[in-house]
Order: sequence, then C-alpha cells, then structure tokens
Amino acid sequence: MVRRRRKQEEEEEKEEEEVAAVPSPAASDGEDAPEELSFGAAAAAAESERQLAGEAARRHRELLKEKRRRRQELFVEQKVTPPSPPIPSHPSHPQPGHKQPGSKSEKQSEGRVLKQVKQDKARGARSKGNYTAMHLKDQSLTGLHQQTAKDFVYSHLYGPGTNRTSANEFFSLANKKDPVKKAAVQFVDKSWGKCKKKKKKK
Amino acid sequence: MGPLEVHRVRFFGLVPAGVRCLAYLPRRRRLALARTDGAVEVYGLEEGCFQEKAIPGHQARSVEALCWAAGERLFGAGLSGDITEYDLQRLRPARTVDGFGGPIWSMVANGGGTRLAIGCEDGSVKLFQVVPGGIQFEKNLDRQKGRVLCLSWHPSGTHIAAGSIDFIRVLDVRSGRTVQRIMVNYHVPKPKKRECVVWGIAFLSDGTVVSSDSFGRVQFWDWERGTLLESHTVSTSAVLSLAVSEKEDSIVVGTSTGATYQLQLLPVKAGSQEKRWVRTKPFQYHTHDVRAVAHSPTALISGGRGAHQAGWGGGVPLPDASSPRSAWLPGLDAQLVIRPLMEKVQRKGYEAVLRKFTFPHRRLVSCARKARLLLFQFSQHLELWRLGSTNETGKDGEVLPVCRMPEHLLQLKSKVGLGRGCGRGLGGLCRPRSAPPRPPQGPEHIYCSCVSPCGGWVAYSTASRFHLYRVQHEGDGVSVKKVPGVPKLLLPAYQLQCASDAGRLFVGSERGSVHVLQLLEPGGCKHLHTLRPPAGTAEAVYLLASSADGNWLAAVSGDWEIHVYSLKHFKHHCTVPTYSCAVTALAIHPATNNLVIAYADQQLFEFSIPEKQYTAWSRTVQNCGLHKAWLERDSPITHIAFNPQNPAHILLHDVYMFCVLDKSLPLPDASTPLLNQSTLKQLPEHARQRQLHAFKICKKFQPLLFAELLEENRLVLVERPLADIRAQLPPPVQQQPFGT
Repeated sequence: MVRRRRKQEEEEEKEEEEVAAVPSPAASDGEDAPEELSFGAAAAAAESERQLAGEAARRHRELLKEKRRRRQELFVEQKVTPPSPPIPSHPSHPQPGHKQPGSKSEKQSEGRVLKQVKQDKARGARSKGNYTAMHLKDQSLTGLHQQTAKDFVYSHLYGPGTNRTSANEFFSLANKKDPVKKAAVQFVDKSWGKCKKKKKKK
Repeated sequence: MGPLEVHRVRFFGLVPAGVRCLAYLPRRRRLALARTDGAVEVYGLEEGCFQEKAIPGHQARSVEALCWAAGERLFGAGLSGDITEYDLQRLRPARTVDGFGGPIWSMVANGGGTRLAIGCEDGSVKLFQVVPGGIQFEKNLDRQKGRVLCLSWHPSGTHIAAGSIDFIRVLDVRSGRTVQRIMVNYHVPKPKKRECVVWGIAFLSDGTVVSSDSFGRVQFWDWERGTLLESHTVSTSAVLSLAVSEKEDSIVVGTSTGATYQLQLLPVKAGSQEKRWVRTKPFQYHTHDVRAVAHSPTALISGGRGAHQAGWGGGVPLPDASSPRSAWLPGLDAQLVIRPLMEKVQRKGYEAVLRKFTFPHRRLVSCARKARLLLFQFSQHLELWRLGSTNETGKDGEVLPVCRMPEHLLQLKSKVGLGRGCGRGLGGLCRPRSAPPRPPQGPEHIYCSCVSPCGGWVAYSTASRFHLYRVQHEGDGVSVKKVPGVPKLLLPAYQLQCASDAGRLFVGSERGSVHVLQLLEPGGCKHLHTLRPPAGTAEAVYLLASSADGNWLAAVSGDWEIHVYSLKHFKHHCTVPTYSCAVTALAIHPATNNLVIAYADQQLFEFSIPEKQYTAWSRTVQNCGLHKAWLERDSPITHIAFNPQNPAHILLHDVYMFCVLDKSLPLPDASTPLLNQSTLKQLPEHARQRQLHAFKICKKFQPLLFAELLEENRLVLVERPLADIRAQLPPPVQQQPFGT
C-alpha cells in the first residue's frame, strides 16, 4: 500500500511537472518564461488533494455503511414473528387417557407436522403488501357486466354530447307553440314543501 | 237514464314502460314486443290489434333482442347474458341458456328459423341451433375487440353482418372468419373524433349492407369491396333502429328525436332499370327515442321508449312474401304506433288508419262498488284509494266542487319472489344445457289483482306467490292483515275475480283451470274446487266473469274458448260457440244472467247462460250488423259493466270513448251517424225520440282506463292523460323549433 502511494506520488509529481512544463494555452502565446513552481508548494498541493480524495472516499464508504445498516434494521423490523397458533393438544404433553390407539398418535403427529409447516409458511410468506381480498361470490360478475353495458348505453343516449333537454322544458315549449296555448308542464318546483315533509318526518 | 254524477279519476299514476324491441311474425301476423321492464307482449294484428298475451317483466330481466324462430317459438336475449325461450301458453320464461359472452346486445334468427346468432359484449358472435326442446350451442364465430351491437343474416344464411363501435364486419358462417371489415368512422376530422356507434344493420340479398349509426347517417356498403355506396344523413341525432321490408325495397329507421323515416328503392327515372335509395317519408309520432322499428308488408310499426333503456336493433323481417309490410316503430314514450303505408293499402278505410297503443289491453283497475274504493295495479305495487264525494248537484257539463278529497288508503308493495330450487349445473365447464330460469333478484312484477265489492279483501298474484289480504275499515283509516295459509295452487294466477257477495275468490290459472277459494270471515281462505274445461287446453285463463247470484262463472283461455261453469254443482255447464277472434271483455248481467262478450274485431254478442244459446237481441244485432263507425274503432273494449238501476243498459268502454248501450232502443242503421249525442241534445223532445238509437257514446273523457257504474247514478271514469305520462319520461332530444 505504501509503495502504491509512493508510486502515486511520483506519478502525480511527474504529472505536475509535465503540467508545469506545458504552458497553458490561455496564459500566453509562448513569449513569457514559465512560472517558477517550488517543489514544496507542489508537494503541499498534492498532499492536500490526496487528503481530500481520501476523505471523500472515506465519507462515501461511511455513507454506504450507513445505508446498509439502515436496510438491515428495516429487514429486522419487518421480520415480525407471527403469534403462535393455539395448539389444542401438544403431542409432547401427556394425554389424560393412556389408552390411546396408535393411529391417533400418528394423526396427532401428522397434525403437528402440518401445523408446524403451516406456521413456517405463515411466518415465511407473511409480508405487508398492497392488496385487498374479495370474495368472488359476493361480486356478481354478470352484475358488473350488466352495469357496464347499461352505462355504455346511458352515456351514448343521455351522456354529454347528446342534445338533451328536460321533459318539462320540451313539453312546455310544445304547449306554448300550439295553436291553442296551454300552460307549461309542471310549474311546480319539486323542492316546495320539502321542509314541511322533513318536519313531518321528524 | 237521468243525469250521472261522474267521478273523473286522474290520480292513477301509471307510466307504461317503453317499448324496447319488436319482432314480427309474418305467417301468423303476430307482433312480439318487449318492454324496458322486461315484459313481453304479443299482439295479433289480423283483426283489430289486440294484446293477446302478456308476460310480466321483472326487475332483473332486461330484453335487448327478441326474435321468432322455428315457427312460433319466441326467444329473447338481454344484458344478463341469457337466451330465454318464452312459453306463450303458460306465459312465463320457459328455459334459459347462458350465452357465456357477457351481456347479449342482439339476436337474430336466420331465414329458416333454424339457427340463432347472438352478438355479445366481448365482441364474439355465437351461433346456436334451434332444436325441439331448446337451443344448442353450435359454434363461436371470429371474435374481435368491441361489443357487437347489431347483427343481420344474409337471406341465404351464408354470411352475417355485425355492427360494432366504429366498424362493421362481415363474417362467413361456415368458416367462422371475418371476411370483411369496414371502418365507419372515417371522414370525421381528428379534433372532432367521436365514437361512431353502429346501432342498426341489415344485410340485403344483393350484398348491400345497410347501417345506421350514432351520427344520424344511414349508409349503404358493398360488403365484398368494402366501399361506401350511398350515405344519407337523416338526422342530427343518432339513428337507433333499422328495419327492412321483405321485398327489400323499403327501409324504416327510427331516430333519437322520435322521428322515423322511410327510405325506398325507387327507379331514377320513370321506367328505368337503375334504382336508388331515396329518403321518402318522415313521420313524427313519438316524442322520445324510437328504439325499435319493424316493417310489415303494409305498415311501419314503431315503439316508443320510456325511461331508462335504450333499445336498438331493427327487427329483421322474416322472409314471407304473403303479407304486405308495415313498419313498427317503438318509441320511448311507450307508444306502439302502426302506420300503414298508403301505397300498399287497397282502399281508404279502416286499414289505412294510424294506430297508437299506449295502454295495455288488460284491466289494471278494480273497483269495490259498495265501498267505493279503487284498486290500482302498478307493475310492482298496488294502491287502494277511496273516491271523493260531493254534496252538490248540478246540470249537464258542470264541474262540482269536491267536499271530501279522494284518499290514498293503502299501498302494497310486491315482495321479492321465492327462489325456485333449480340448479345451474357445472358452471362453465360443460356445454350449457337448457336450465329453468334462474330465480331473479328483486321484487316481482304483479300479474293480476282484485278487490272484493265490499272492500274487505285484496288479492294479487306474482310469478311465484299468491297474496291475500284482509282489509278492515275503521272509521277513516284502514288496517291490513295478511291472510296466512293460502292454499298452494299452481302459480302464477293469471286472472283474479271476486264474487259479488265477497264469499269466494276465483283464480284463473294455467291449462284453462279455475280455482275456487272460499274466503272465511276473520281472515282465512280455503280451496273449494278446481274447475277444468272438458277437452283440456294448454293455454292459460286470461279473463273471468262471475254472476251476481253466485251461480255461474265464465272463463276464457288463450285459445279463445269461453267455458261457463255452474258453481252450484261445480261442473262445466256449456261452451260458447267458437269465434275466430280473441275475446277482449266479458261480463254476466246481474238480473238476466246473460253473458255479454266483446271480441277483438269489435263484435258484440249476448249469450244466455241458462238457455245455452244466443239471445234474441244478439241475433238481431248480428243480422243487422253493427254500425261501420263502431267496427272501425282502434282500441278494443276492455271492460263491460251494467247499470243497477236499469237492466237494459250495458256500459262499455275502450280507450277513447265510453258507451251506454240501451237494448230497448232500436239499433242504428248505416245512414244514421253513430255519434249523435251532441245533436240529440239540441233537438226538441219529440224529434229526439225519432232519432234515438241504442248506442250512446261519449268521447269527452280520454284516454280511459276504466269505467264503472256505481249505485245512485254515479259513474267512475279513470283517465290517464298522455301529458302526465310524458312529463315523467326521461329527457328528450332538444329540438330547435322554427322561430325560437
């Protein structure tokens, strides 16, 4: 590591020398003599640059570490253990009756295995997600289709773009244009008497 | 007869459901009609236009397409995705097959009536074969994205044209593939691009596809090349329905504004071979959308749509060269309009008359004569009202002030029906077999209802239940109690009638049978007997009449046979001689026990039950013949009543008039005007006597739904002004009248 650094320093010095040797094109047209650059100043500059780079690298490393740490903590949090299901009869517990047929204990052991499998499954598959569960039987598919169909028809016949007017207006106009003028249809506003009805209900 | 006090009842808020689709059966001259509430009706157009059969609808049932197939079988399909076959004898849906394509938008039968094609929501066209006992799935044709809104078979049965949104396609039936796809929405500039919905389509035998779309255009396409032959813009609003005549020389279209147009194929010059389609006649008979049209040989038929549902699809006429065509146009305003085409009508007369049917030809109002109550039957509830009264008297034509307003006593709502225990099979795994219809959700529609003359009993029947209520009048109010333990009868009941003494209830059922129930006093009923016609019949009873003394009962079934039963011995008494028309009304005279019958061709007969033969007066009427103006009325007589004061009077009414027939007066001959009441009033007494004749007709009260004579010279008339119905309909298309 030290050798690498020395090599780096040498390279940098060389570069600096080369840089110093090459006149900057913007500075002059080549008439003036190059500026004198002492070794110490160059070395100090190189040192400071190295330090900066090192600090940047260190900060970057620490940032990554921080991120990793946080993710680890998040995983640990998410990994919530499920409540253990109530085990009705633990096969390891002594049964009240010793006269058990062998098949029963076998079944119990199977049950235990199944339960354990279920528990494992529950623990492994459990995750917070963005889903809702629906009972398909409750949602009648035909009902949804029918509703879509009806909406289609309604929107094409009565939706925006169709030039519809209210029945009252239509017939009132017809009554007024008649040779024998009649009253407009349904003068009465339906909202009249609503407060009275509300009071009655109360 | 002296002055009558008229109770002019206008609070029956009936709004008939709009007509959604039509199907014409040329061979039998029958028209099937489906309404927006799922009701299906069949009209016979031969003599008069009488509503012969009516199948009440249901909230969950929606019928979008109706067609006749395999003779006289009626099929309907709707947004529930099922194809239903209707049993016209038992007046109910017979069997249902799921189409498995989502909501079904259109259904058409091919020329021979052997196959049905349905257009579904998912864009597929499915073929079904009509077999005895049901229908069987045959195959799926090519499916493309976009709902198939209308279909039409080519008369040869080899191709089907399907209209969708923005395009039309032609499918080859044998291979099932789409052989042509025509874009309809081609020339509208980009910013104004709207969906072009093809509402109606027809496939002519020369390969022309006629389409009607939502831009108000009727377009003619050459299907092989996919090019537009002609385009007619008939309206600014959508053209919702299309129907072609059998000879393919006339098309009728219905628009959203209520206007219907006829397009005819006429030669360009007189005598030239080249023909072009020309828009000839506009008609404005409806105020709202015309969602179904049909073309019969002599007339254009249209139906109005009522509230919510849109209908489309023109009825594709079944090939039948015999009868001329009319077009039927159903409109949104629940009117069925039959407009005969003048050039097809031979003579100017009754056949050339425009007919409009708004109200059902069934009795929807029952009257409790002694208690002065009226029972109104709506599709999902009943209302019981008490008539108002007045203390004043007046002269002819005066309006008397009402001292006691009519009261709304009771409202009975129909309940949710009983589910019939029928399984649906294995879901979608196997071919759908015909199953009895699924028990639908929601309250059931009421088939029939009646109230007893004393007002104490109210009965009504739905498709799966029979309800009987005991009504107690306590002072000004009523209390209602449901009668439990109603006997399990074969349901539904198609007609109900209470006996005059309120002791018995007659229930008209299927296969011509009538059940007699005894109404027991505190609130119960018992089944006494079931009366059946001797020969047996498959049709259901649709009219009943009972005598005032409780001895006789007359029942009419769907085969138009009138059977008279004796209630003393519970057996069949006699059958009235058969007549070639449907019976529209019947009643038994309280004093003489004569059965008065009105037929769909406006003939009147009087049959004496004890003597088992027509009365002398009836023979006289038949010998002289009825007056021409009487025979040329549009609407059938739906109710017959009698005058308690005068046994020689018969009160008849139809939609536009009511008539008091005085049997003691001479019959009018052909030269006397039939409507002479107004002239008679102006004549002095001695001149009047010379010109009086038996028919006293009043046309002042229209449209009439019910008329009845109560005691003490009171007449009850239930009217339903059309303006009141129209005010409650959904918004019509705004039209800019000239000068506004």
